[in-house]
Order: sequence, then C-alpha cells, then structure tokens
Amino acid sequence: MGNSSHHLGALLIFFGTMAAGICQAADPPDQTATAIKRGEYLATAADCGACHTAPGGKPFAGGLPISTPLDTIYSTNITPSVDFGIGHYTEEEFSRALRRGVRRDGANLYPAMPYTSYAKFTEDDAHALYLYFTQTVKPVEQRPPPTQLPFPMNIRASMIAWNLLFLDSAAFVPDPHQSPEWNRGAYLVQGAAHCSTCHTPRGFLMQEEASRALSGAQVGPWYAPNITSDPISGIGRWTKEELAAYLRTGHLSGKAQAAGSMGEAVEDSFQHLTAADLDAIATYIKSVAAVHGPADDASRFTAGKMFSELAALRGRDGIKSDNDADPSGAALFQGNCGSCHSAEGQGSKDGYYPSLFSNSATGAKNPTNLIAAILYGVDRTTSGGQAFMPGFGGHATDANPLSDRDIVVLGNYVLAHYGSADTTITEPQVAEERRGGPSSPLLALARAGMAAAAVVVCLGIAFLILRRRKSSA
Amino acid sequence: MPDQDRDDSPTAFKLARRKVLVGGLVVGGVAALPTLPLIAAPASWSDQSAARFMEISLLLIPHRLNEEVGKRMGAAMAALNPSLSQHIDGLLSIAREKNARIVEDFFADIPDGPLKETALSIISAWYLGVVTDAADAEVFAYEYALMYQPTRDVMTIPSYAISGPNGWTAEAPPLSNMPEF
Amino acid sequence: MASDTSADVVVVGTGVVGCLIAEQALEAGLSVLMLEAGPRVDRWRIVENFRNLPPSLRLFHWDAPYPPKPWAPHLETRMDKEQEQYLQLEGPNARAYLQGYVRYAGGATWHWAGICWRLTPEDMRLKSLYGVGRDWPFSHDVIEPYYTRAEYAIGVCGPSDPTLQWPPNAKRSKPYPMGPIPFGPGEHRFTEAAARIGMINLPAPQARNSGVSYDGRPPCCGNNNCFPVCPIAAKYDAATALPKIEAKGGKILANAVVYRIETGEKNAIEAVHFFDPDKRSHRVTAKIFVIACNGIETPKLLLLSKDERNPNGVANSSDQVGRNMMDQPKLIADLELQEPLWTGVGPVQSSSILNTTQGEFRSRYAGAMFRMENFARSPLGAAAALKKGLVGKALDAEIRRLSACTARLTVEHEIMPSADNRLTLSSKKDWLGINKPNIYYDVGDYVRQSAKEYTVPRLQQLAAELGATNFQLSPEFLNSDHIMGGCVMGAEPATAVVDADCRAHDHPNLFLPGGGAMPSGTASNSTLTMAALALKAADAIADQLKHG
Repeated sequence: MGNSSHHLGALLIFFGTMAAGICQAADPPDQTATAIKRGEYLATAADCGACHTAPGGKPFAGGLPISTPLDTIYSTNITPSVDFGIGHYTEEEFSRALRRGVRRDGANLYPAMPYTSYAKFTEDDAHALYLYFTQTVKPVEQRPPPTQLPFPMNIRASMIAWNLLFLDSAAFVPDPHQSPEWNRGAYLVQGAAHCSTCHTPRGFLMQEEASRALSGAQVGPWYAPNITSDPISGIGRWTKEELAAYLRTGHLSGKAQAAGSMGEAVEDSFQHLTAADLDAIATYIKSVAAVHGPADDASRFTAGKMFSELAALRGRDGIKSDNDADPSGAALFQGNCGSCHSAEGQGSKDGYYPSLFSNSATGAKNPTNLIAAILYGVDRTTSGGQAFMPGFGGHATDANPLSDRDIVVLGNYVLAHYGSADTTITEPQVAEERRGGPSSPLLALARAGMAAAAVVVCLGIAFLILRRRKSSA
Repeated sequence: MPDQDRDDSPTAFKLARRKVLVGGLVVGGVAALPTLPLIAAPASWSDQSAARFMEISLLLIPHRLNEEVGKRMGAAMAALNPSLSQHIDGLLSIAREKNARIVEDFFADIPDGPLKETALSIISAWYLGVVTDAADAEVFAYEYALMYQPTRDVMTIPSYAISGPNGWTAEAPPLSNMPEF
Repeated sequence: MASDTSADVVVVGTGVVGCLIAEQALEAGLSVLMLEAGPRVDRWRIVENFRNLPPSLRLFHWDAPYPPKPWAPHLETRMDKEQEQYLQLEGPNARAYLQGYVRYAGGATWHWAGICWRLTPEDMRLKSLYGVGRDWPFSHDVIEPYYTRAEYAIGVCGPSDPTLQWPPNAKRSKPYPMGPIPFGPGEHRFTEAAARIGMINLPAPQARNSGVSYDGRPPCCGNNNCFPVCPIAAKYDAATALPKIEAKGGKILANAVVYRIETGEKNAIEAVHFFDPDKRSHRVTAKIFVIACNGIETPKLLLLSKDERNPNGVANSSDQVGRNMMDQPKLIADLELQEPLWTGVGPVQSSSILNTTQGEFRSRYAGAMFRMENFARSPLGAAAALKKGLVGKALDAEIRRLSACTARLTVEHEIMPSADNRLTLSSKKDWLGINKPNIYYDVGDYVRQSAKEYTVPRLQQLAAELGATNFQLSPEFLNSDHIMGGCVMGAEPATAVVDADCRAHDHPNLFLPGGGAMPSGTASNSTLTMAALALKAADAIADQLKHG
C-alpha cells in the first residue's frame, strides 16, 4: 500500500507539473534561470522581505507584527512550505494573491499587503516572482501567529466591497508619449516599489486618494512626506541625481535622511536596485503632479540656521546631583543632542551626523518625524555603513529616556531655532507617537455603525412581531 | 611635576603651596578665593562699559568673540577689579595712540604693572572661559573658550564628536597650520 | 516579585558587578531588588555638569561632575575643607589610595576608561610560578568562558589578529564582538617609538562600541571624554543597564544606604538595613544577598556589621576582610617633545603596553603596564602658554605647540597583597553617623624596587625615543582607581574571605563579587576580570536557588 501510493503520488505530481507546464508554456532551463534572477530582483524592488521576514527570523517566513491603525496584522509565511507557506500555490493562485489580494482559500488579504500596487505587475514579472519564491527560497516549517483584527474588521469578506470600490486591477500599461525611462520608473513606482502605500494620503475607508498622489501620509509613528514635484511642499527643487542618490544611500546632506520604514526600504530594497532603475524612478517621481499643502509657506529643506544659547547657558545651569525638575530646551539640547549634532546644531564635519537646520526632519511643518526620530532614533545600514541615532525612550530599554514633557520642550527648542519656527508640539502628540502613532476612527465608527444597524434590525423585527400579534389578535 | 595636575587630588590635599592665578596676578600660598555668591559689578559698570570691554577685547584678541559672553565676563571682572573701567580706558588710549588694529601693534607699549596685568587677564579669560581658575569659579564659556581653537583641526573639544564613528585616522596636519577662528 | 523590602536576590550596589548579576538573576527567573546608596541622575545632566566645571576641574578631577549626596559620600574634589574628606588615609603611600569612585546609580563605570584586558594564566599563579603573592583558586581555563560572556554582555571591541591580542598564549573561545577602534596620530607615533625599544603597544580591547551600534547604544564618535563621562553611552557604563533591569522586572531603589548586614540562625544572612535620606531605617530580606559596592565600601560594610556571631565583622572569620588592599600604584611622566604627538583624537585611552608585565623578574619586583594618555591636551597647552604672558599670534602658536608637543606617559605597577595594607573603620563618622573608611597603604619594596630598577628607566627610554626635551616624574605614587583585595578569594576559609564563586566562606547565602575578591592585583585594568567574576557568581547564585 505505502509503496504504490508513493509511486502514484509521484506520478500525479509529475503529471500535475507537466500539466501546469503545458498550461503556460514551460520555460527552457536557461530562461528559467534568468526569470528566477529577475524574480529575485523584483522581490527586492518590491521589498517583500520588509514585511514577510521578521527581525531575526528566517527569510520570508512571516510573523512580523505590523501595527496598523486597526490593530496588529501579522505577515504570512511565503516560503514554499507546504503546511505553513505557499508550497501548495499554483502560479495562478500566487498571482491572484499578489495582484488581487485573494488567498488560495478564497479569503481576502488586508491591504497591508499592498496588492493594490502589485496589481500593476505584468504577467511575466508575476511569473518570475513565482519561480523565485517556489524554486529558490528555502521552505521554513513555521506557522506565524494568525492575524485577529477586532470585529468587524475580522470579516475578510468586507474587503470584497472595498476592492470593488478601490482596487484598480489593471496591469501597468506604458504611456506611449513618455520615454522608456519614464515608463520603467512609473512601472516600478506604481508597482513593485509601492511608494503610494506610504506616501499617498488615505480617505476615511483607508483607500489611497489618487487625486493627491504622493502628497504625504502618516505611517505609524512616522510621516511619509510629500514627494510630488511641488517646489515648496514637495521635492520639486531636488535634481534627478539627488533623488537617485538619496534612494541609494538614504541621505542627502543639507536636506534629508531616511528613517523608520523608509530607512528599511533603502537598506533592504533601493540600495540594491540598478543605477538605471534608480534613475528611472527619479525621472518618474520628478514628474508627479505637484500637490501644494495649503499651510506650506516654506520648503522643509531650507529652514533654520546655526544657533546656540550657550553664551547664556554655560556655567549657569549648575553642577547638580539631582535631575532638573524643569530643564530648559537649551539644556536638554546641549546635554542630549550636542555631542553628536554639534554645539550649534551644524552636525559633524564629515556629515555623518547631519546638521539639524536645512533638514527636513526639523523643517517640516508636520513635526511627526522629529518626534519619532527622538523617540525611536535611526538605524539604517547600507553599503556605506551604518547610520545610527539611538532612541530616547521609544523603547523601555533605551539608555537615556526622555519624558513626554522633556521631548516637548526639547522638540520645541529644536523647531524654533533649527526648523519650522511656527510649529509646536504638545504632550498628547508625543504620547500618541509613543503608542505607535494615531489610531483610525474607522474601527470605532464601524462598530458604532454595526451597533446602529443591529438596533435598527432589532427594532424592525420587534415592529414586525408586534404587527403580527396585533393582526392575529 | 606641576602641582595642579595631580590625579583626582582634592584641592585640600596638595602637599605644596598652591599658586592661583587671579586676574594676571600670581598669588602664592593658600589664597583667599572670591566668595560665593558672586559680588555684583559696581554700579558704575554700564552698557557703555560693556561695549568698551568688547572693544578692548577685540583689540587684544584677533578672533571672533561672542558678545553675550563678553557681557557676562566684563561684569564679573569689574566685580573683582574695581579699577577695571579705568584700566580699559588706559589700554584703549594706548591702542589709539599707536593706531593699533591688532594686539601686536600696541602690546609692547603697555607699561608693566596693573595695566598689563589687566590686559593679560582679559586675554586669559577669553581663552579659558573663566576669570579665575578656581574650584568655584563662574564659568562663562566652554564651547566658546578660545583655548580649544588653535588645535581645532586635530583635537576635539571634549564631549563633542570629532567625526562619524571611527572616522579619524593617524594623519595629522602640520604643526605650522593654524585654524581660522 | 520583588517589592521594596524583599526579593529572591538583593543586590547592594548598582555598579558593573551588581548590574551584571541582577541581569543574570532576572534571566534565570529570579526576582531582584537593587539598593543604591546614591542618587540616580540622567546622563545629560552629568554631561552638562562637566561642561559647567572650571578648567582646573575638568581634567584629573574625575569625580567633580558627580557632586556626592551627604548620605553617600565619595571623593570630594570640589570642597576645600579637609575635615569633610571621606577617605581617611595613612601610611607612606596614603596618596596612592585616594580612590575615585562614584556613589551614584551606575557606579564607577560612569568614569572608567573602558579598558578590558584579561589576566594572563601566569597572572593567576604568582605563588606557584614566582614564589610571591597568592594563587587564584582556579586556572585561566575556568575564567576564560566568563571573560567571553562578559565581553559580549558589555560590548567589547578588539583586534581579531591574534598577534595583537593579549594574553598572547591563551586561546580565545570567541572573537571580540566588534573590531578595534582606530588609532589617532599620537597613538600611532607612540606605538612606533615604543616598538623600537621592545615595548609593544597593543590596541586595547575596550568596552566601547566600535563603528556600529551595540545593545541599542551608538558607536564611539571620538568625544574624547570617556572620563569623566561618555556623553552618548558608546562606552559601556552600568547606568545603561538600569533601564534594562527595570524592563525585565527588577526593582531599583536609589538613595538607600545599606549600613548593616544582619545575620541569623546558622549564621545565614537574614536581612540588610538601609537608611533613606531622612535617616529612617528600613529592613530588606532576601534568599541571597550580593554586596557589590566596590572594594572599599564592601569590606567597610562587612566590618560595620560585626555582631555576636561575627565579632570581627560579617564574613570575617579569616580576619582577611579589609586586608590585602591593592590597586596599581601609578607614576606619571610629563614630557616636552620636539615633534608633535597629537592627543585628543578618539578615546582618551585606546592602547597599552603589557609585555612589560610578564617575566621571571616578578619573583623580585613588580611587572608594570605602560601607556600614553590620549586626552586632549589643549587646555593644558593653553594654560601653560598664557602663563608666559604671550599675546596674539605668538600666543596661538604657543598654545598649539604646547598642546601638540607635550605628552603624559603612565606606568601602573603590580602590587603584592599585604595584610598590613588594611581598611579599618575610622572613628570619624559621615553625615549618617556611619564610620568612614580608614586605609593604611604602603606600596612595598616590591613596587619601589620595580620603579628604581625597571619602570622609571624604561619611562626615560620611552621619553628619549619620543624625542623628549624635558622629563618630569610624579614625586610619589598615585591611585589608579582599581580597588582590589579587601575580600580576597581562596580555597581555604582560614586565609580567604570568599570561595571560587565569590561566596563568603562564613555565610552560604552571601556573595561578595568584584575587585575585592581578586587575589592578585596585576598591572592591568581590573574591570573585565570583575565582570567575569560577577557572571561566575551569578551562575552559582542561580544554581544555588534552583537546586538548594
């Protein structure tokens, strides 16, 4: 029994593979190798690992907790494990998950998986990705934690209506009026690199607002800024070369540095792309329609100047054996920030520690990234080395924690002198950042809506019952 | 072996007589130090006095000087030295006589004695960031103290980064260089 | 769960030894309460304290940014009143025991240099090999894995090239967690000069993050302020461990001065008593007590705790508590040079010469470690140039010349443990009414002979090799702040205070890990060895509580 069923199984697998091969014209071996390499490259461009590889975990085995405004979503195991991953998936099923957000068992994925962007992948590229994941990635026999969003978001079928409203399922179609470089850039930006999932603001139902594409949005405790071509609100004044360099290294002296999820994107994805692809991305991004923030009267890259309060402070804030009850912004700045960012905020001579003026982290009207940088620091490794700033209390084990109050005083000092002088921050803002960023009202309202609907239904049923009693009376 | 360079020795533990620099004066023995809280500048010390203090400071020291540091320093020196205002006037008049733009133009013409001591103590204060280098001295400058500037191309100001991580080398510029400050 | 008055393990002292033990105990699932005599102060406050000091106190007065609380006195370098001095010192080398440590949460690693040398196998067998001093009760092979764990626990960087490693003859079980920190111009020149006369200046393994972050702490960026305080925590200090201990459920009480250890039935430790700043007494109980207050405070506390069962003090049936006080007696040479040496680039200490610590001569006189000091000499150059009455360009040039063309060399000797070098309780009392420590110290002929025959001539040769035009030696021996010996370790309860796990021979639930336990002082920095002993004691504690 055992032996023959084993052989039978083998035969079925063989014919099954043959059938799959026939169904989609099997590649000759050298084309397969090329396709797999292309799949690997696309997986890097799409940064699948950013979500599907947990820190310290095996590649693509899932289990990364992704905090969303609607509670935590855990990434899935997309190694070719049969029991815990995508080992059972046919290419069509893989493609459906990737580009339509539908699992093999027919359930919908949450758009934390950016299938709305990956819908742009061509068939060929989806094929290459499938080959890479099923033939090269090592299967990992581990089940990640299941995602359990609170009611009613745990009803995945609710995504069907959402997709009907918001999913553009067409693959990318090149624009014949644009250069091949522009089209390649558009394909990567709209598809694999899924820039809009962070940089495009979302509406009430968490859909991307296409009319304000790439004009900025909150991502947990960080803010993905306006990267449209607006010269004030966006990066309209950056050259194409500057943008490509920023993507490759994660920083641009006197302008910006990548932290949070963008730091990861540079580390895991952008720095590995070809120079031609980075140029293409830059070409496309530079062409994105300008969206001007109505409150923006100055660029976030050119604020502030060298400054210190040392002449008044030095020798006056004492030699004390107690922590100050009420430290000034100047004292907090010199004590916590000056050692690396220099006494007057100008950064180190070699540019490793950036200047705090002419720096979008302080110059933006929205202070989210300044608060997040203070709380969580920066940790970004590229071929150029590790860029590191420690967090000051975002994690319980941080060596030098600052309270909400101190971050407010310090942050306002930095904003006033090195950054967006008319922006101020408050303790509730800092506390919210410490909790991981704003939560969405959607959940509460959805529940309220469901409750209201339930009340209406109950009232309706009660009314009908009463009417029947009356009529039968 | 200089007395004041003893590892971790409290000021009370020195075995030999301590020398303390008060203004330009070297005082032998266990000197009486200016007491805390600090004596206030005399009522005659005005904004004009502060301006003249800056004027003579800039003549004595050919570098960028922070005006707010100067205000604090001048007032503290005036508190210690009631004749400071007169000394400044004396020094300014010597400088004018010589049409001095920089200190080398007129320093040789300053007579030995209180006038020269005051000139030296003004220079010392700007370089060290204190008027008297005693344990309870008022500190006006650390980052802005000029003593760190002549070697700023090599040595860091302690507690401030020299470069990014491990960004330094065994190379040093020639001794004959002088940073601009 | 630890409360304010009880835990499985009570640790007195929040220095590197106490914190390593606390972390290990928490990992093992035990509850931990830590008692710290002094205050808990934020790093940035101490950095600003330092910058607010006058120039004369920013160098060499490493306790000045840490003004002590009245209830937790330590070396007070800012007050000019002798009667308020805390350490009562006597003997021909009293000056050499003027120890700088910090009674703040985090302890003396706040201002340590961060240098992490290991002992050599020979360092641990002085009696057997050279007929002097004491042997350790275990071999280098036993401590080696603990050295490795300590290096990974605190984050030590060092060279991977075995020819640059120390000890040269003992295998490392793992590489250093991080690669070495580059030399500045001074160290480079010093290394070349020393090599010409057979003195090998090695890059020092240091508890400093090198090039990369470690444990959430940033890498060194050359603040050149390791002492008195690393502004960014690139250098490990025990203060960085405190939030981690609390995150794991440990409790830390600051401003809690333990003044008595209480024994009970069968001479087990029942409790410790501490004063709060209002002089109210509190009693704390535990299953295991760890006294890790440093090599002066721990023996002092043991002597203070004498009772009927322990008339000579707790853990003192051997009469060795407070005896064998050791450090590395230090001499410094200040040089004027013709050519620049250039300090102030990178950490304040980053290398040492150690081949001078080993050899047959140790049967007759002390081995010693040599080094150059790499703190920025600009304030010294400026003070000296100003004294000459120079002005203008001449002043600036002379400041630059004197900053670059002067140097300080240091030699630290190995001292023999002597029963006469002894800590006792002074009749003078501190603010809480607790006896101050009195220490008699004589470096001994073993050290004096070394200085005469060996180390001072070698210093002079080094100076000549550097092209020195002037050489000034300190007139007497100085402290190195490596307090050792007062609770010496040994197999025999008659001649030692603690066993090979730093457990008190007299009290099975009392541990006294740290420098005090070291039977040989050697010539090199003691902290890594103390950390290794802490981890060894932690293993024994966990084992004892789990298996009785």
